[in-house]
Amino acid sequence: MKPLPSTSSKTPVKFRMPTSENLVPIRLDIEVGGQRFKDAFTWNISDPDSEVSVFAKRTQKDLKLPLAFATQIAQSIQTQQTEFRSYKGQEMLTGEKIVPIKLDLRVNRTLIKDQFLWDLNNFDSDPEEFSKTFCNDLGIEDPEVGPAVAFAIREQLYEIAIQSVATARESRNAKKGRRGEYSSISSRSTGAALDLMKLFSNRYSGVRKRKEWDVFEPMVDMLSNEEVAALESMVERKPR
Amino acid sequence: VALATKQRQWYFGLSVNERTVVHQWPSFFSFGSPSTFWAFLWKYSFIIPSVFARPPKNLRNLTAMASTEPPAAVTPPSSKPNLLPLASPTIITPSAAASVAVAPTASSSSPATPSVATPRPIPSDAEVVHIPSYSCWFSLGDISECEIRCLPEFFDSRSPSRNPKAYKYIRDSIVKQFRRNPSSKITFTEVRKTLVADVISIRKVFDFLDAWGLINYSPAALNKPLKWEDKDSKSSQHAADSPAGPSLDSTPPVRETSKRLCGSCKSVCSIACFASDKVNLASSFHCNGIHTIKGNPSAAFCAIASLEHCSTNLVLIVLNQYDITLCARCFVRGNYRVGLSSSDFKRVEISDEMKTDWTEKETLQLLEAVMHYGDDWKKVAQHVGGRSDKDCITHFIKLPMGEQFASSAEFGSSINKLNQMKDDNNISSSSSPSKRLCLSPLADASNPIMAQAAFLSALAGTGVAEAAAQAAVTAVSEMGQGEPKADIRSLHGVQGLQDASITSNGSGILKSVEEAHSGVNPKPEEKEKVNVEEEIRRVAEVQMKQIQEKIIHFEEVDSQIEKEWKQMEQMRDILFYDQLNLLKHERAIRKSGQQAAEGVRTQGDYVS
Repeated sequence: MKPLPSTSSKTPVKFRMPTSENLVPIRLDIEVGGQRFKDAFTWNISDPDSEVSVFAKRTQKDLKLPLAFATQIAQSIQTQQTEFRSYKGQEMLTGEKIVPIKLDLRVNRTLIKDQFLWDLNNFDSDPEEFSKTFCNDLGIEDPEVGPAVAFAIREQLYEIAIQSVATARESRNAKKGRRGEYSSISSRSTGAALDLMKLFSNRYSGVRKRKEWDVFEPMVDMLSNEEVAALESMVERKPR
Repeated sequence: VALATKQRQWYFGLSVNERTVVHQWPSFFSFGSPSTFWAFLWKYSFIIPSVFARPPKNLRNLTAMASTEPPAAVTPPSSKPNLLPLASPTIITPSAAASVAVAPTASSSSPATPSVATPRPIPSDAEVVHIPSYSCWFSLGDISECEIRCLPEFFDSRSPSRNPKAYKYIRDSIVKQFRRNPSSKITFTEVRKTLVADVISIRKVFDFLDAWGLINYSPAALNKPLKWEDKDSKSSQHAADSPAGPSLDSTPPVRETSKRLCGSCKSVCSIACFASDKVNLASSFHCNGIHTIKGNPSAAFCAIASLEHCSTNLVLIVLNQYDITLCARCFVRGNYRVGLSSSDFKRVEISDEMKTDWTEKETLQLLEAVMHYGDDWKKVAQHVGGRSDKDCITHFIKLPMGEQFASSAEFGSSINKLNQMKDDNNISSSSSPSKRLCLSPLADASNPIMAQAAFLSALAGTGVAEAAAQAAVTAVSEMGQGEPKADIRSLHGVQGLQDASITSNGSGILKSVEEAHSGVNPKPEEKEKVNVEEEIRRVAEVQMKQIQEKIIHFEEVDSQIEKEWKQMEQMRDILFYDQLNLLKHERAIRKSGQQAAEGVRTQGDYVS
């Protein structure tokens, strides 16, 4: 196990996914000639770029999609990759970052709703492990749920990381201008994060209040086919 | 079993002779250990051992006899000290017997050879999943050395998400998923949707398992042709991914158009071949010892003499210099002659090219069509008959003189004759590039006529070309100002001469052309150039004279105009003077008139 990096709350850190591995969540939503292909998976950013086209071709072949998909898939992956890389050199403020992660997803027939807290400072965290344990503990039979959960967690972590880059930049600019207000700005900028102290407002125990139990309890529901069809048609109708 | 006892290091690279050491195979892969040789050769499994295609008739007996080791006929993996017992009870390795005849020898030899694993009782109701015998190291419980070698990125702690535990999770999930439905092939996308890991890790493990036949391996599938592009890309990916790959894959597949027969098993090469560039058997830089793996190649050959195992999806090996073609099996077994090693063989791809061999007739048709239709490849394809337009284009490009023909549009019959000559003379490829080189500076000249003239002179003999050039020069000089006509006429004259020369001259043309090409061509070309220059000069002179005359004329006119103007001025002066005088006179007269009138009056007064 890697030792936890000793970062103090205020020093900025080079941008990266706050997980043990710099895996990027990639979302695909490609429409070619009436056929829509939606997908979401994690991608290792340190893999060579040749993998992109190979993967795209494989996917297109395996799913028997028309040829145009392969190039589109590759393009989409590459744009998301470059977007991630564009953040690379920049700094992000991690601070006292315990963020709530919400899961609200439907994979095939399984509906999952959950909320939990995630420590952004812990660069050893592993959404994959979490997801595997999650599926095991809750007895989820559908194997496609695991990757979806891991992906959802990563996506949210990615968003938060991007936000913290932006706030770090703001605070840096502000720092150049007015030194005195630095600390106040930084504390203001950690909007999504909860202060540890506030969280454990109950000074006497670390246990959550009863009324909050429902919020933080995972809920797994199996839908029937009709419900799935209904939901899907609803989703498709919305963007139109 | 192995005769090579010395340590040998394997070098990657194109061929042994070239001494290009790209990467070094770890030294523990000496060929003293046939198992490791076998393992690394099979690693990329472009060779499908269809020897294992048919499961033995009596599964139970054979597996009881030789559960973990293939029979001695397939000799490389005869003894595998690091063989792991298969943990899963549902796996049975079919003993590698091409025919039942081999099995008895296996059964007799296997008790003799030291076997690592004892025969395992097979549960009678277990689902049988076949995996090839070269993958019998696989076990769901452990990670074997083979896997560590093939997928080092999971075991070298370079990246935190690629660790042995993750690898095992991915591998086991994929294998279990496949085994739930072993009759259907599992795709990568199905797998990666269900695994919590980054997709590239999944892909690597999937490819590895696929390559080793641990998933998507079914005996029935072997009879179907595999997708070699995928295999190639996989193997090239492997070569790219894991630096410790064998040299064979680093050579790109070479396409040959001729049919190839396996040297040892006398069957037609179907998909790909291996070719060796080794010139001299004796000079082997890297072979410290004789590389033969097994004792008697001919005995092994007899055992495998059936066509069957070479007919599907096998790789044949071609040894260019010695015209040795070996199928994959023979190659892997080391059925090549003493002194050769597997790195001497280069893989030769035989895919669609073989099926669509371009006969001479077709080539001629192609060239005719190109001349008639130019760039309209659809019509060309129609004319050739039986070839798609893309085929025509690719073949046309490959023709050594293709580009020359593309630029010159007048040589109908001469090209055909040239082709015949080419075919008759068996010109080596070296001469045509040199000829091409010679022609290219002139062919690139912007003057197409020059290009044609150069080309024709190259075709013809030196004497003929010189005579033709002189005739052309005289024709041009005679015509004088009428250059274009002269050129065309001279060219026709030249062409007439040279057509005759082509038919008269024989095979000596080309040789003489190569020798004298540089000498002949500049002369007619220079003369032509000189003539042209002179003519241009003359024209320029004439024009200059004209301009000068005009200038003179204008000057004269100018001076004349000046004179006239002066005259005009003088006349104006005179006129003015005259006018002035006239006025004076008038006044004078008037005055005198008045005086006279006054005089008369006064006189009148006197009178009266």
